[in-house]
Amino acid sequence: MEHILSYIVFIPLVGALVVLLTPKAYQHLYKVLAIGFTGLSLLLTLYAVHMFDGGLVPQISGEANLQLVEKVEWFRLSLGSLGTFSVDYLLAADGLNISMLLLASIVLFIGAIVCWKIKEKQKAYFGLYLLLSTSVLGCFVALDFFLFYLFFEFMLLPMYFLVGLWGGPRREYAAIKFFIYTLVGSILILIVMIGLYNSVYDPVKTAELAGINGTELSIEEVQALVAEGRIEEGQLVKSFNMLYMANPANYIPGSLLERSGLSTLFGEPIRWMAFLAIFIGFAIKLPSFPFHTWLPDAHVEAPTPISVVLAGVLLKVGGYGLIRTAFAMFPDAAYHYAWLIGFLGMFSIIYGAMNALAQKDLKKLIAFSSVSHMGFVLLGLAAMTSEGISGAIYQMFSHGLISSMLFLIAGVLYDRTHNRTIEHYGGLAHQMPYYTVFVGIAFFASLGLPGFSGFIAELFVFIGAFKSSAVIGAIPAWMAIVSTLGLVLAAGYYLWTFQKMFLGKFWVKEKNWLPALKDLTIREYMVLVPLVVLIIAFGIYPGLLLNLINTGVESFVGHLTEWSK
Amino acid sequence: MIVLVASMQNPGGLAEQLQRLKEGLHFMLPEIGIVITIILLVVYDLLFQKNKSVGLAAILFSALSFLLVFQVLSFLPEANALPLFEGLVTHSAGANLFKIGFLLSLLVALLMAVTSRKDSLHYFDSSEVLVCLLGVLLGAFLLVMSSNLLMIYVAVELVSICSYLLTGLGKGKKKSEAAIKYLLYGAAASAVMLYGMSWLYGLTGSIDLNSDSFKIGLDYAVVVPLNIAVFMVLCGLLFKLGSFPLHVWAPDVYRATPLPTVAVFSVVPKLAALLVLLRLVAATSATHFDWQTWLGILSIGGMVVGNFSALWQDNAKRMLAYSSIAHAAFLLAGVSIMNRTGLEATVFYALAYLLMNLAAFYLIQMVENKVGSTSYEQLKGMGKKIPYVSVLLLIVMVALTGLPPTVGFNAKLYLFSAVYDEFGRSESTILLWVLLVGLLNTVVSLFYYIKIPYLLFFKEGEGNVAPGAYTIRALIPGTLLVLSVLLLFFRSDWFVDLLNSINFVL
Repeated sequence: MEHILSYIVFIPLVGALVVLLTPKAYQHLYKVLAIGFTGLSLLLTLYAVHMFDGGLVPQISGEANLQLVEKVEWFRLSLGSLGTFSVDYLLAADGLNISMLLLASIVLFIGAIVCWKIKEKQKAYFGLYLLLSTSVLGCFVALDFFLFYLFFEFMLLPMYFLVGLWGGPRREYAAIKFFIYTLVGSILILIVMIGLYNSVYDPVKTAELAGINGTELSIEEVQALVAEGRIEEGQLVKSFNMLYMANPANYIPGSLLERSGLSTLFGEPIRWMAFLAIFIGFAIKLPSFPFHTWLPDAHVEAPTPISVVLAGVLLKVGGYGLIRTAFAMFPDAAYHYAWLIGFLGMFSIIYGAMNALAQKDLKKLIAFSSVSHMGFVLLGLAAMTSEGISGAIYQMFSHGLISSMLFLIAGVLYDRTHNRTIEHYGGLAHQMPYYTVFVGIAFFASLGLPGFSGFIAELFVFIGAFKSSAVIGAIPAWMAIVSTLGLVLAAGYYLWTFQKMFLGKFWVKEKNWLPALKDLTIREYMVLVPLVVLIIAFGIYPGLLLNLINTGVESFVGHLTEWSK
Repeated sequence: MIVLVASMQNPGGLAEQLQRLKEGLHFMLPEIGIVITIILLVVYDLLFQKNKSVGLAAILFSALSFLLVFQVLSFLPEANALPLFEGLVTHSAGANLFKIGFLLSLLVALLMAVTSRKDSLHYFDSSEVLVCLLGVLLGAFLLVMSSNLLMIYVAVELVSICSYLLTGLGKGKKKSEAAIKYLLYGAAASAVMLYGMSWLYGLTGSIDLNSDSFKIGLDYAVVVPLNIAVFMVLCGLLFKLGSFPLHVWAPDVYRATPLPTVAVFSVVPKLAALLVLLRLVAATSATHFDWQTWLGILSIGGMVVGNFSALWQDNAKRMLAYSSIAHAAFLLAGVSIMNRTGLEATVFYALAYLLMNLAAFYLIQMVENKVGSTSYEQLKGMGKKIPYVSVLLLIVMVALTGLPPTVGFNAKLYLFSAVYDEFGRSESTILLWVLLVGLLNTVVSLFYYIKIPYLLFFKEGEGNVAPGAYTIRALIPGTLLVLSVLLLFFRSDWFVDLLNSINFVL
């Protein structure tokens, strides 16, 4: 299993090709193929997680202790005065991405099962779904910026078509809005990527090229040589390696994004501007206030499985991108702007929750609750403490599971009546008791009741944010205090909704919905029960996840503390 | 005058001069081949009356394929530049690379013409259109080789006059209007350019861009007249480049002309003018003319005007016309970098653009064959009826936007990297703005490029398609072009290595 990450990433792509080549006469097989290929990918992920040694402390700014590494040089170019630069096919896992890989595999598999409702243009649908799976999975394990960007951009097109072709009435608007917003983000990331690879060199390959490998120089020695200017710029191999980009010693002296660089842009140091650009790029994806407006539209219009994947994994790419690039590569700028990030996080929590309170559409309510919950990720990151970062990653994982379940629940109702307006239902508990149980679990999990995974995540974030001012001084404690209001509001909108829709006397707006309002089917149990099990398991035994991410987080926080000042 | 200048450079007897001319002919074989093909076409047209099209097509395709093979086989990247005919033209590897591109474009265009519907222009009924197309090709060949002001002018005129004829040939009021517009604009632009050249000659006493007397002359030239002269020459080239602000002719001409001709127009004269512009910039870079600022401003203007005009189009052909204005602006951005990196990035972008644009036109032609028009109304809902071509078209539109995994992404990445790199060195504000406006325009361009797949796949249309499936023969060129657009993303190093090894003496 040497190439296990490649298998995990590209098995869905093979599935897409198989779907494409299977004739239309066998179209009932498409969904089986989709479930099969994502399932195989999930099994391999579980095996990879099993092989993953959580005790190894990864180096955030270098390749030491990376696990399941696959590294091959993809291509190497020399472009005039830009010098040589190399792009690697580099896939690897460490404490920062293994949990995201696991989450993505689980959610994509569940999403594939939910696709059974799709009846139109099945070939295109399942082909695109599997294509999307490959690019999402690839995004989490690619540690070369070029490769990462390829996967990151490649998510847009399948998503555009999946929302735009199989979505609700305003699907075209929602699809193009999603595409444009995310593309603006990608462009901002691209600018920074160009700046980074022009500023960072690969010490190992530089040693090879400069011909000093005969004397077996260590990475540190090469870095010292470059710092002293004893290797000419023409002999440097510039690198897209995201880990090398995180190490300030790998920046070419005098380059624009160098740590001690004096270049300014619009009166601010250029490194800080670069940080802001890449932060906004991923904040759009996350999404954070004020870049969140595409999310409710996309969620409301997307078909259920796509909503599940969107909320469950795509948003996490934003959070993961912030950790891996913005924070790891610009810790000084992150520290400088921590108050802004923390404030945006806090504001998203409150603003998302207040919006959720006002929604009439169940799916929109869940979408705004997502904005609110993603605010915790920002708050945890801005705290820059180990509790905060652990909490942010835990929140992403937990929200991936919980929001998937919430969208499944909304889908259950929509499938039966094609209506999601909260006010059109009352006392559903009498008609659909088992459904009500699952809705209750999902709502309580989402509002952060102890015993569910969301509680652990939010607790960690609050502790981290509260301690931040004492430990590292990134954000003031009042941000944590104000953010707790979000919990109260969450309890408010969930309980109210639950009360309106499920409690009291049974009542629905249209009489003809009555025959359709049956309780859950076997298939629906099949996707909901595993999610409930996972949410509770991660809620009462957080070690399951923390053991995977702990060393990664510790190392990451060490990196932040070392370089933030 | 030429003999005068030439004999001043290369003194020697008449016999020696003749000897050099004879040696020079050896390097002009492709151009001689084009001339022979033109003569063959005209003669064949006169001699035979019935079923001419098969013969004409046979002559043309065999000649062009032969030339392409010859050009590729004789292509030596490392070859040094060689002045021919007393410095009138220069034989160089860079020019040869562009010639291969031009031959490819013409071949693709003619393949489009073969598959096009019978009610459009009859390319192979008689030799006129074909001869004009070859004239454009010959002019472009000469243009990429010329390093002499007079030769540049003659070659530009050859391309232009053939282009006017191509626009005007055939019936219809639209055609005449477009041809007249084109002619008037073209004549004015040429006149201005020629006037500028005469000033340059007056200031330096030489018309050979590479000669020492030209360089020395520039050093001693008075600043203001020199700037005016360079600017006037620039105007003529901008016209051929179809670039802002001399682009207004392009959309009308594109609309009035059949797709195969437009495919040639959008690539061949543009890239030829680009190479000459690079040469002019290199020759005059040491003067007081602020190339970077001027080109930067023109580039920003072109991106904005091209992209925002393309947004409002309702016809795929006109949309591509405006998009080509925007792409010309990106090329200008590359020229404004003014170093070797910028040169390579620009040439990469130019050749990537050539591939993407040819693919786009070829596929739009295939759609037009089935649907009867390129208007957006007619494209609606065609994704279901012609899925394969629609998917190819989707890939090409993604490439033109500049998203991975297509060569369009690499082209933009290298270009922006080169701009960024030069900005890092010089901290010149105009480059920063070029970078920012260029990147933002990528987002704007998404709107209109994605509109084609949007119409094809998202909309329901009542339009009927012509019966019958595409023939495999018609699908192969389109597929190959799209595959090359994808392949050059994954292995762009092949292409860059080639560019690295080329000796771009300008």
